[in-house]
Amino acid sequence: MEQFIYYLKVSFKGIKRAPLPYALTIFILSVGLGVFFANATFYYQLNSDPLPHKSDKLFFPMALMAPYECNDCKPPSVLSYSNIEKLSQTDIASKAAAMYSADGYLRQSAEQAPLPVSIRITQRDFFSMFDVPILHGSIWPDNSARAEVILTKASAEKLFGRADVVGEKLLLDDRHVTVSAVLDSWQMLPRLYDANNRNHLGDADDIYLPLESGYDMNYLSNSQSQTFDDTDYRQLSTQGRSGAMHQLQYWVQLDTPAQQQAYRQFMHNLVQDEKAAGRHPSEPNNQLVAMRDIVHYFGGESSDIKAFALVTLLFLLVCLFNASHLSLNRYLSNQYEFSLRRALGASRAQLQLQMLADVLLMALFTILGALLTGYAGIKLMNQLLPSNRLFSSWDMPLLLSLLAIAFACSYLVTLYPSLRASFGSLNQQLKE
Amino acid sequence: MITLTNLSKIFRTELIETHALREVNLQVNEGEFAALTGPSGSGKSTLLNILGTLESFDSGDYLLDGKSVKGLSDAALSKLRNEKIGFIFQSFNLIKDFSIYDNIELPLRYRGLKASARKQRIEQALELVGLHARRDYLPGQLSGGQQQRVAIARAIAGQPRILLADEPTGNLDSLMARQVMELLEQINQQGCTILMVTHDPDQARRAGRNIQIIDGQLHDATMYDPLAAQSA
Repeated sequence: MEQFIYYLKVSFKGIKRAPLPYALTIFILSVGLGVFFANATFYYQLNSDPLPHKSDKLFFPMALMAPYECNDCKPPSVLSYSNIEKLSQTDIASKAAAMYSADGYLRQSAEQAPLPVSIRITQRDFFSMFDVPILHGSIWPDNSARAEVILTKASAEKLFGRADVVGEKLLLDDRHVTVSAVLDSWQMLPRLYDANNRNHLGDADDIYLPLESGYDMNYLSNSQSQTFDDTDYRQLSTQGRSGAMHQLQYWVQLDTPAQQQAYRQFMHNLVQDEKAAGRHPSEPNNQLVAMRDIVHYFGGESSDIKAFALVTLLFLLVCLFNASHLSLNRYLSNQYEFSLRRALGASRAQLQLQMLADVLLMALFTILGALLTGYAGIKLMNQLLPSNRLFSSWDMPLLLSLLAIAFACSYLVTLYPSLRASFGSLNQQLKE
Repeated sequence: MITLTNLSKIFRTELIETHALREVNLQVNEGEFAALTGPSGSGKSTLLNILGTLESFDSGDYLLDGKSVKGLSDAALSKLRNEKIGFIFQSFNLIKDFSIYDNIELPLRYRGLKASARKQRIEQALELVGLHARRDYLPGQLSGGQQQRVAIARAIAGQPRILLADEPTGNLDSLMARQVMELLEQINQQGCTILMVTHDPDQARRAGRNIQIIDGQLHDATMYDPLAAQSA
């Protein structure tokens, strides 16, 4: 340890000899790494798996059951109520939840100003399928209609100034509802259950309403809907359940490969039966997309971030090249000292330990500079691409990866120059 | 102690080959003080550098304490330089922003000695060269003679068995040169073998043996006879 402290001391002396080239090397590396860090943050967060333990068990089923002929068509990415009913007529799936989102207004009494809220209209399994934490109260016991809402903690605090508001009454678009539960702080990023609508980069919804109640209250989807007839679906409560109004997302949990195979067979049989009954003329095209593949399936990857990733990687390479060049000049100007140390008995391995001390110092300064530059870069990208703002945080695995990259870059920048400096004719270098 | 057998060294460039040393045979015994003399470019420094393992050779063999240095690994050569050989360079080769103490400490650091052992050896060496009071000075604050004494202290602090000095007084005035020579003689009297490159006949006379090199060949490897020199 004492020897390593000595190596650090020698490194500091080396910096003091030529502070400007050293500062320039650090600056170039910091800028290259900082820009890379900023982009890597978004890239990592946008492509992260929010439920790694079950993202291969949650599936989004789609079937081409439209009442018109369409060959080589993809199935609609939203389903009708009646199709959901048909897809639910099996107990193969461990859990299943249909859902959609709508907008509404919420207030405690008619005298208060209404608070605009985003409503997720769904079924009880939604909460267990997507690991939503409950802070107070309990989830609806079944999927039947009920004038009950589940609030997020933030919504409860906004409306009541506290979180424990189970049993409190509210007006949802002037209909009386009771709070049955309050969720703990929760933000699934990305919100993959909403990827078919390309809403997976947005905030979570404010309140949750049973699906049947949503239909009874005539809430239409605020994101994506399709219909294949002229029915006026504004009267969702009377027309929505039987008509061809497609607005629902549907997720099933299939825990084992056997369940997944059985569900695929079930979908195949269902579509064949529907075709035989003359309800759709198209060739069957069933899809069962796993949650981990859903963004790719719907083409929801951010092309901006991908392009930035490539550009920042190239920029980092240019910075590494320049920093290496500067570092090489610095080491070659110190070559005499390397040779003297070798002449006095230092082995190349001992000189490499000296280099490791140089790397540590350089990594330390570079990491500080890169984190500052990265932070500034993230703030700038939040201004340029506000839709990605939820994906700008650093978590521990990301931070450790970034630190490892910074260390590796510092090592690369130091490795070749120090090797160059520690080889060569001792006698010649000592004369110079 | 040192045995060179048919040792040759050729410097090659794209156009020419220069035979720096040709078939050199030499035996140096423990405790000798030998001067390497000869005209500029004759191969003196090359020989010294090969003896110090700072430079490789092309053919022949070099035995140190009966063991060939040919084919030794970098780590083994470093260890050999660190433990058995001390260097004194014409231009001192001190690190300018290291204190005198830190400069002398360098070879001891690479030997892995503990701080207390290093301190004891450095202080002994500083006592010997008479610079104990200046241990915290930087080399630039010392005269040329003092800097060379620091270089000597660095060379002897590791208690080497061989001291290789390449024109140690080349950059010093006559007074300083005499002090350095007296110091080397004192070190030799303590049992350390010294090989010294010099152009100065007086200094060569003070060494016990004069080895002349002309055009890369050893011309006279006899013991220097001070009485014969006086009568001449």
